[in-house]
Order: sequence, then structure tokens, then C-alpha cells
Amino acid sequence: MDIKKNKYYQAWFKNAWTYVTGAILLSLLQTVTMITTNDPWGVTGAFANWGAWIYKALGGSVEKWTYFDSQGAQAALSAGFLNDPASMRNLGIIAGALFAVLMASQFKLKKIKSHKQVIAAMLGGLLMGYGATIAFGCNIGALYSGIASLSLSGWVFALFLFCGSVVGSKLLVKFFM
Amino acid sequence: MSREIVLDCIGEVCPVPLIKAENALKKLTVGDILIIQIDHSCAMKNIPEWAKKAGHNVEVQEPVDGEWEVIIEKMK
Repeated sequence: MDIKKNKYYQAWFKNAWTYVTGAILLSLLQTVTMITTNDPWGVTGAFANWGAWIYKALGGSVEKWTYFDSQGAQAALSAGFLNDPASMRNLGIIAGALFAVLMASQFKLKKIKSHKQVIAAMLGGLLMGYGATIAFGCNIGALYSGIASLSLSGWVFALFLFCGSVVGSKLLVKFFM
Repeated sequence: MSREIVLDCIGEVCPVPLIKAENALKKLTVGDILIIQIDHSCAMKNIPEWAKKAGHNVEVQEPVDGEWEVIIEKMK
């Protein structure tokens, strides 16, 4: 029998899972994250560490930077990449996404459509990275984990995330459509 | 006679295909067919969702692995 027509293959690998399935799995896995690493789930914090390690490898020093002032941040930096749960998890997200897309046979190197798209992607990436770093978290660390930890900060973040999205969407329609 | 318009959104990411589809459909008349070609899986969810809510007929096909055609028949 053709595996592509197998209903279990289709349900598990080919068709997108529902939002509810995703939400339940995220809740369970973020609880596992909390128990095993003693930290809530976060994504972008690790990228700041990656930047610091690269800067250090090039001979720079971040010891005096306010962002890396805390003992926790210093401990994470000196423990190194392989001992940083957030870095390992981020690699896992990429590996998992690759696995999922390969199983669905939907892997594709996408072509770049226009120069505008390149500028939009770079500008968007820079703004998101800068924003997440000065906010001490992205939509995962600050929003999702904030709210899941019953912290008011998560809701404040949500409000301003919404405002930012409105402005971002308007700019996108105005300049990139 | 009803027309059939193809919208090439291969390589575009959210929310661009959705906004382009909305704009393209506005210019069509009832009975026309809009075919949106995408290779971004989120657009495969949000374009049909929007079109169904707006009351149009929608069908999704995957002619090649990883590429989809969202076919919308304008109903009103």
C-alpha cells in the first residue's frame, strides 16, 4: 500500500495538527522544560548569549555590559554553549521542524522573490531581535512564559505586542505590497 | 463569462499572500475563480479560513509536494 494514502501517515505527518493539539503539547512540554531546567521556556535570550560568545571568540568582552550584569547571565556565559539548555532547545526546534517538514515531504529551498523581500526580512529580523533583547524576552519568554507564570508582565507585553503588530502590519501593507 | 485569475505567491510569506488574495478578489466579480499559488504552509491555513468566513467556495490542492493552490470561487 502507498504510504502516502495511509490514514495514520496523513494524520501524524502530512496534515497540519490542529491549534488545540499544538496548544496542549506546548503546555505539557513547557512544564517539562520548567521541571528539567528550572527556567521557563524562552528562545531569544539564547541568541544574545550566542552573540556574546561570538564577540568573546573575536577577542571582545561583555563583562561590563548591563545586559550580562546578573550572576545568572555570567554563569550561563561561562558554562558555555553545550551546557546552555536554551541553546540546545533552539537547535532542537530547528531539527524538529526539519524532521516534520521532511516527513511531510514538503521541504523546499524557497526562492527570493524581490529585493524588497530581502530588505523586509532583514529589517524585521533586526527589529524583532533588538525589541526582544531590550524587553528581556520575545513572544515566548516574555509573553507565553510570562502569562504561564501568572506574571502581570506577560499581559503588559501582550498589549504592546498587539500595538507593535498593528503598526508593523500597516507599514508592511504601505511599503511592501 | 467568468474569469480565472492566477496569483503567483510562491516564495512569499505571511501575511503577504493573504493580503494579496484579498486585494485580488476585490477586483473580481461574482462567479470568477482566483487561484493562489503558495509554498508557505501558514498561508494554506489562513487563506481558506478567511475565504470561508467571507462566504466564498474554497478548495485546496497540492499539485507538487510543498506547493499548494488555493482555489476560491467568488460568491458575493
